[in-house]
Amino acid sequence: MGIKYFNLLGQDFGKVSFKNPILTASGTFGYATEYSDFFDVSKLGAVVTKAITKAPRAGNDGARIFETSSGMINRIGLENVGVDKFCEVKLKELQENDINFIVNVAGSSPDEYVYVAEKLGNAGVSAIEINVSCPNVKAGCLEFGTDETALGTLVGQIRQAFSGFLVIKLTPNVTRIENLAQAAQNAGADAISAINTLKGVGLKLEFSGKNVRKTLVEGGLSGKCIKPHALSCVKRIKSAVTIPIIGMGGISSLDDVLEFIAVGADLVQIGTENFTNPDISSKIITELEEFMSAHGFKDFNELKEILRDGI
Amino acid sequence: MKKNLKGKILSITEIAKEIFEIKIESELKEISAGQFFQVLCPPKTMRRPFGAAGFENGVLKGVFKLRGDGTKYLSTLKSGDIVHFTAPLGNGFNIESKKSLLIGAGVGTAPLLYLSDVLNMQGIEKYFIAGFRSKEEEIKGADFAQYGGTILDFVEPYIQKFNPEKIYACAPDIVLKKISEIASKYEIETEVALEKTMACGIGVCKGCVIKVIKNGEIQNATICHDGPVFNASEVVWE
Repeated sequence: MGIKYFNLLGQDFGKVSFKNPILTASGTFGYATEYSDFFDVSKLGAVVTKAITKAPRAGNDGARIFETSSGMINRIGLENVGVDKFCEVKLKELQENDINFIVNVAGSSPDEYVYVAEKLGNAGVSAIEINVSCPNVKAGCLEFGTDETALGTLVGQIRQAFSGFLVIKLTPNVTRIENLAQAAQNAGADAISAINTLKGVGLKLEFSGKNVRKTLVEGGLSGKCIKPHALSCVKRIKSAVTIPIIGMGGISSLDDVLEFIAVGADLVQIGTENFTNPDISSKIITELEEFMSAHGFKDFNELKEILRDGI
Repeated sequence: MKKNLKGKILSITEIAKEIFEIKIESELKEISAGQFFQVLCPPKTMRRPFGAAGFENGVLKGVFKLRGDGTKYLSTLKSGDIVHFTAPLGNGFNIESKKSLLIGAGVGTAPLLYLSDVLNMQGIEKYFIAGFRSKEEEIKGADFAQYGGTILDFVEPYIQKFNPEKIYACAPDIVLKKISEIASKYEIETEVALEKTMACGIGVCKGCVIKVIKNGEIQNATICHDGPVFNASEVVWE
């Protein structure tokens, strides 16, 4: 991701630069090449990979997804190939196809996070996103994301092991997300991304006489319905930190992107909407370019300033 | 190659009780029997997957049953309306020159209609049996249709009568599991087309996984990308 050329949409954060602010969110875009049939994925600001853990994970048994009004609930359980296979196969694919990427990392103990971060750094990965916010696994992960002290310690340990661009992805399932963002910044994070999914229960009841067939999916809620809450979280994080913020939660249009930038995001991630419209990210990049030219913005910083004025 | 397409509805017809046939004209170049397409149903988040029920002269045929908001939306569309869909998705049936028995149940009959056409065109001998909850819910096209009860009652008699070398089936999991057991008893190679709630349709979200046995190991497979057609002997039935 060492792209140093700049167009209207480029942004430089020192360790890494992004050719545009449109990223795709972890878990919704695989390892990028799966979407190559739909558009040239190398045009994305970056792809955030599916979460990688130390050992491969099979994920959860039973029903894993449930559609809600304007969204969906998932309880995948971090199914992934594990860091060794990722480095052998997927990482090469990303590098060979010139795709800008951030590797999402999850773990159940600080040692696991540190192991994976170090291994990825050694393999030449320049940016990682630490998932301390997955609601769908039994041990670790989320517990680091809900306690400021635990988060600070974890981020500090990962910081020692990884010198690249370190993003901490926060959960909205806390009272004061801004305090966690601050703890991450103080411990050496380079950026905050928010939000991961909200806790949700999907329940379908089908009656046959007095018998009820119940389908219950308890997991993380995503999609359009979470956008107002995500905007609130990003706004509060912006008030607490100076490092870049990657905003996400229900983005499905250019207007949504502009709203996230207005409340403090420097970059955005598109998640669930990839399932609804597989080429949405590509469309939004084009629309954003056209929008900036049409309104005469000279660069992305000027757009940010104007959007944030008075908010 | 998978594509996100815009198609024009040529016709949409209620062919049985709460079961609709939709014909879509688009730039789709290929889709094989057993593969599926996913239709955008605003304002729903997830596209609805349907097995191709036919593909001829660039016209894609699908059959869907009214189930919820997504299919309700589709049922209100008219000829000339535009639909957005992704196709071709998943892996289709492996067609072999073997005497074939096709077994469908309910709306699972739809992908077999396309398969039946393809087998006919290739001159492969086949017999197609299908079961429906009632006569008014029948999707026409099978050689033998049964109403009420279960199609399972007819699987063994037709195996004995027709002596197939291969079985293709599409039905609810519980029916497919039984068909798979019967087929294994008679040592007949069987392919099953599965269905589950799915989001991405291309294997990334891992929302529609099942367990399969490959190289002696139990592993995950996605219905949308690794399937929807699986060799019945590989599926670990729940």
